[in-house]
Amino acid sequence: MSEEKKYKEMGIARFFARYPELTGYSSPQKALYQTIRELVENSLDAIDGHEEGRQVALPLIKVVIEEVAIVHDEEGKKVMCRVTAEDNGVGVPPTVIANAFAKVLYSSKYVTKQTRGMYGIGVKAAVMYSQATGGSGVDVISTTSSLEDVYWRRLKIDLEKNEPIVLGTGSWRKQGSWRGTRVSMTMECDWPRARQKIIEYFQKTSIIAPYVQMLFLTPEKELYVFPKRAEKIPDPPREAKPHPHGVDVETFKLMLRETKARTFKQFLMKEFQSVGEKSARAIIREAKKRIKDKDISGDISPADLLQASDGSLAAIVDIMKTLRFQPPKSKYLSPLGEDLVKASLISTFNPEWADAIRRSPRSYQGHPFIVELGMAYGGHIEPMNEPLLLRYANKVPLLSAEKEDVSYKVMMGVDWKQYKVTFPAPLVILVHVVSTKIPYKSMGKESISEVPEIEQEIRYGLLELGRRLREYLSEKERREEAMNRALAISKYLPEIARGLKILEKEPRSWTPLEPGEERDLLEDLIKLVSRHVHLRDQQGEEVVRKILRVK
Amino acid sequence: MDKVDAEARKRAAAILREKLIPLIKDLKAGEPLKLVIPKRTLSNTMLDPEKGILILKDEKLERHLLDAGEARRFMQTILMASIIYQALVENEYPTIRDLYYRGKHTLQYRDLEGKVREENTWDEQQESDAVLRDIEVMTNLLREEMLILSKEKGKMVGDMRIRSGPDVIDLSKLGHGAYAIESTPDFIEFLDYNAEFVLVVEKDAVFQQLHRIGFWRQYKCLLITGAGQPDRATRRLVRRLNEELGLPVYVLTDSDPYGWNIYSVFKVGSITLSYESERLATPKARFLGVSMTDIFGDKKKKPYLTEEERKNFIIKAKDEDIKRAQDLQKYSWFQTPKWKKEIDLFLEKRAKLEIEALVGKGLKFLAYKYLPEKIQTGDWIE
Repeated sequence: MSEEKKYKEMGIARFFARYPELTGYSSPQKALYQTIRELVENSLDAIDGHEEGRQVALPLIKVVIEEVAIVHDEEGKKVMCRVTAEDNGVGVPPTVIANAFAKVLYSSKYVTKQTRGMYGIGVKAAVMYSQATGGSGVDVISTTSSLEDVYWRRLKIDLEKNEPIVLGTGSWRKQGSWRGTRVSMTMECDWPRARQKIIEYFQKTSIIAPYVQMLFLTPEKELYVFPKRAEKIPDPPREAKPHPHGVDVETFKLMLRETKARTFKQFLMKEFQSVGEKSARAIIREAKKRIKDKDISGDISPADLLQASDGSLAAIVDIMKTLRFQPPKSKYLSPLGEDLVKASLISTFNPEWADAIRRSPRSYQGHPFIVELGMAYGGHIEPMNEPLLLRYANKVPLLSAEKEDVSYKVMMGVDWKQYKVTFPAPLVILVHVVSTKIPYKSMGKESISEVPEIEQEIRYGLLELGRRLREYLSEKERREEAMNRALAISKYLPEIARGLKILEKEPRSWTPLEPGEERDLLEDLIKLVSRHVHLRDQQGEEVVRKILRVK
Repeated sequence: MDKVDAEARKRAAAILREKLIPLIKDLKAGEPLKLVIPKRTLSNTMLDPEKGILILKDEKLERHLLDAGEARRFMQTILMASIIYQALVENEYPTIRDLYYRGKHTLQYRDLEGKVREENTWDEQQESDAVLRDIEVMTNLLREEMLILSKEKGKMVGDMRIRSGPDVIDLSKLGHGAYAIESTPDFIEFLDYNAEFVLVVEKDAVFQQLHRIGFWRQYKCLLITGAGQPDRATRRLVRRLNEELGLPVYVLTDSDPYGWNIYSVFKVGSITLSYESERLATPKARFLGVSMTDIFGDKKKKPYLTEEERKNFIIKAKDEDIKRAQDLQKYSWFQTPKWKKEIDLFLEKRAKLEIEALVGKGLKFLAYKYLPEKIQTGDWIE
């Protein structure tokens, strides 16, 4: 049975409440981590996902976890936490608050978009978990820049009807200029066990969102500050039509059902990217040949086409996958950008060298993707036995199952010695994949599959950065060699100057050497050596003079 | 001040300047600085077939200031030249130890991290001695010509009068003592003498014994010892006695490769110091003994030792003696038939003998039988 069918039979909200492991809420430890993720990612979306959200001088996310009660019941001791997240993002209009937080929407939209959300149902799963473990509903306070009031809602989800239950409402005049959203809910939690992963999540999130300041207050009242380190915010991702290579049968049917196009041909040209008159005709021509149970033409209506058997529709999808089209457009994707990746690595690790690269957009199975990579070396980075790998997908960090990830595999396949790196080495590698569909390896969505196209882009990117690192290290070596050479020679110059000056004085008019008498020869020697240390002249002279400046 | 001295100073100072002043010119012209020094290696050493002494071939090495690996030695060379030059113009007589101390001081500089570091111009005297040898080959001036003194080690007695500095010394009137051969034997003036040959004895103890028994008076010779490895002054003096007075020179050493090497140093010079052989070697020096045939005899010759004495006096050669002998075999001047026979016999018998063993047979045997007989019968190796 497909998941979609299960939703329909059981009621979507009930379904997710029954199977919390699907959304990552299978224990108080995982639930707390997952809740933090959903809240932070919603806030990040509110900051960088909308034009308006980006107009703030200091984008800010504050997260607080408090342990509010210890409950003893038949199952034993339970610790209750209050989790609060506040941002100064775009805000949610009061009319939308209830549905946004307390209705599990089964989106009928078939457009594709690069999104942070890992499970589609987002924060609502956290609300359901809170509800199931004794929370008294979610409190949402929000306002947008155009509103004059701040609105409060206390909400629950009616699991049977999948409708919001509004427990309380309120509003008041805006004080000051704040706009944004503040969400707060109580739930059973296991902070001690979740702690490490949550902190790691913040650290790694801060690296990929350096334009946001994040504050995190733990139950022990420890305040973690992840400062804003970059001004530029990348353009938000935009919605795009599906590419014919990237559509499955279910989506295809959904599209047929919802389209406003009158004919099959119009439908193909209007609802898909990269399909024009010519490709639409090619699809229809092929479909005519393959489909026997239905008379196919470009003029039949989408509704009519829906009457065809599943097998026939599957054949059309298959045809679309095998024909050639313009590749999917990548302009809807939102990578971080080389500058930002580099700046973030520099401000996070304080390395002696860092660089970043963005590979050209490509696609796999009809899904556009971009790989961007960063590399940092030396400085404050501790030497490690293998590179520290930071993995990101659509601007969220991937924390577990590192060794199964395609990036790890590619990274371990690189012969680092060729790039003048021998381990243990202070090397950090960042791999960020953005796509309308990330090919995760499993339900846990913590590692990316070895899709050949993605693997290749990661490899090329890593090798290019490796070459740049090698160039840097070679240049550094050359420089160090030149400096060492300057040192090995320069330290003897005063002695040589004195010796030569003594020999210059004639026996007839001999007087012992006065201090400083050899100055002219020393100056000549400094100039001579400066010219020959393979640094720029000026720089060479500074180096030599510095070596000799001992008084 | 001594006139001979003053002339030597003037000359040495002029040559030093002549060799090093061009560096200042190059420096003013912005040219990289280099010193050109004849190589003092075995491969650049050859036996001059006409003169019979070791000389340097033409190979030169260049020492570049701008080569990081050579800068230190470059500095040391300039430093040493300047110290010697200053001593010359200030009328001093430094020893090589003095040169070491005058030049030894601490340089300060900042390393690349900005830390102040220290380094000595040189640490061991070995280092400054090596630099001095560089200066000698570079200027073609021996240290004696630059008025540098060394420790006096050699001694001489005999019926002879010499002038040393302002004094006349009678080498026959020194009692049980002897004349310590001065560092600068070139400044000695031979006045008159009554001697027919020179006997150079490796060992100081044997020298004293022959002196006390009156050997030099009885056989009209000049008796000299270098007390082990001879210093340069002893070698130079022996050379002058041979060359200027035409006295034959006989060398008496232990019968082992170490003794042969001492003879070799007198005759052709030493490899590390071959540049000085021109003035220090005595190509006509003769190896008087103790030879292997003196011990073991041969077809034509009865040995000086009985079977019984051989048993008592002979020392078994060590591995390092064998190795040294094999090394000596490689040198062309040890490849004459007589030497070949001598070394082969040694390698065969694996036996060596000290001169003292002959003294053990009686000092009178050594002085009145062995030595005169060997000289009279021409039983030496050249």
